[in-house]
Amino acid sequence: MRVVIAEDNALLREGMVLLLTSVGHEVAAVAATGPEVLPALLEHRPDVAVLDVRMPPGFRDEGLRAALAAREQIPDLPVLVLSQYVEETYAAELLSGGAGGVGYLLKDRVGRVDEFLDALERVAAGGTALDPEVVTELLTRRADDPLDTLTPREREVLHLMAEGRDNTTIATTLVVSDRAVSKHIGNVFLKLGLPQSDSGHRRVLAVLAYLNKG
Amino acid sequence: MRETLGRADRASMQLLMGAGLALLSYVFVGVLLFTVVASLIVIGLGVLPETVLLLRRMAGSKRRQVGRWSGTEIREAYTPLTGTLVERVRKAVKDPGTYRDLRWLFVHFVYGLALLYVALPLWVIGALVDGVWCGLLGRKAVVLPLIGRLAELDTRWSTALLKPSPEAERNAELAQRVEELTQTRAGAVAAHGAELRRIERDLHDGTQARLVALSMRMGLARRVYDTDPEAVRKLLADAQDQAEEALAELRHVVRGIHPPILTDRGLVGAVRALAASSGLDVSVRDDGVADGPRAPAAVEAAAYFVVAEALTNAAKHSGARRATVELARGAAGLRLLVRDEGQGGADESGGSGLLGMRRRVAALDGTMEVVSPAGGPTEIGVELPCVW
Repeated sequence: MRVVIAEDNALLREGMVLLLTSVGHEVAAVAATGPEVLPALLEHRPDVAVLDVRMPPGFRDEGLRAALAAREQIPDLPVLVLSQYVEETYAAELLSGGAGGVGYLLKDRVGRVDEFLDALERVAAGGTALDPEVVTELLTRRADDPLDTLTPREREVLHLMAEGRDNTTIATTLVVSDRAVSKHIGNVFLKLGLPQSDSGHRRVLAVLAYLNKG
Repeated sequence: MRETLGRADRASMQLLMGAGLALLSYVFVGVLLFTVVASLIVIGLGVLPETVLLLRRMAGSKRRQVGRWSGTEIREAYTPLTGTLVERVRKAVKDPGTYRDLRWLFVHFVYGLALLYVALPLWVIGALVDGVWCGLLGRKAVVLPLIGRLAELDTRWSTALLKPSPEAERNAELAQRVEELTQTRAGAVAAHGAELRRIERDLHDGTQARLVALSMRMGLARRVYDTDPEAVRKLLADAQDQAEEALAELRHVVRGIHPPILTDRGLVGAVRALAASSGLDVSVRDDGVADGPRAPAAVEAAAYFVVAEALTNAAKHSGARRATVELARGAAGLRLLVRDEGQGGADESGGSGLLGMRRRVAALDGTMEVVSPAGGPTEIGVELPCVW
């Protein structure tokens, strides 16, 4: 895959380049400041962009804004946004377009190399990768609603689904069969009153839209 | 009639005490003369501040007398006599209050006695006229109320003579303001110190300890690298866990110091993010905060924590579904109001975080008002002074 990286910290930038090239990806360009990001994305049109939220010169949310701006011009451009901290609002902004190919993860997750690469590929393929911390926030903030009617196992399934995992991964993670996962998912959609939808990004969006409703 | 008598009675008492004070001031003039003469040959300087304090006490007792009669206290505004003897003498001599008191002393000596002398015959005439004539004819008393008028006269004159000059009053207000500021500043410094210690402890006991443990596991892994690959795998996995936990803790500490979203989005953006993740239907109204220069970081952080805490309380305890947050740019600083449509009855002693909010606001010399009647709604209003 061809990747564009935007990261201002040289250590992390080099680390990321090393990591991606060592597994056979091609790093098309690296951007070290906010204003460089959008031109680099438009020029190289990568298979996936890995963007840091906070970048110079303002050290605010330049990376995120660049991601949103780029997706306005190239609607299907897959972006994986990394940050030192996660904000539900940012996740909502990234997902608001409704198009797939969005990831939002804590930088810490890069350390779990396999999981990170998996998330990167998922995003590049038009899927979703949402940090577990964001999902936890979404799941815990409400008290009195249908979420309480879910069994612990169904909650776990919902959590993994919201992170953007597919059925097979969910089954492996929870050590259950694919059929059991499908059954749990069916129950979750039934209890939350959501229409059944096929697997993949649309399903994640339905779940997230439900959780975001507040 | 009984009422008239009672009032005349109290007025007479008032006048009697006034006259008593006047007589006392006659004695005081002796003390004063001694002090002045002795001061001329230096030795009296030692007692001069004491004499002035005595004078203040006499004036103070008149102020209280008048206050009891009229219901409104006459304000006191003196320069406190503190410091070395020389300083105290200088302050006593320079305080304009000293000369106002002296003026009162002499004038009061005259009217304090005179009013009583007028009042005494009024009792005799009053007993005859009001008691016999009015009593027989059933008319309203005419003479006894005059005694009350005399006491009013005493009040008016004393107030005019004893109230501090506008300048002294302003000085007193300023002194009080300085006192308040000194206190809030001490509070802010203490709060800041406590905050630093908390951060230090968090970093020391949490993050640093985890990094030590991480480093230890790496060291162990190196030792057994060639002999026990399975142990290395386990040690590396542990080390990664430790590193991740250290990162999570660091994030937590940073959030406590200054929430990163404030830097990214400013106060209004950060509050909107809070509103979106509160689980309530929150409408945010901004009156000029997002435009123009930003408030100082400490003010924004305090405002952010107040809103966060208030919304958490609303979501957890109030039973409300909806809330409003209002932010406004005022001339004197930032105003914010959080209102929920819940059941009210928020209790400051109940560990609901209100105390912490109050402390945080007070540390910045701000004010916080909580209105939460049983049955709701709950309103928390905060003003944080700042220069924009």
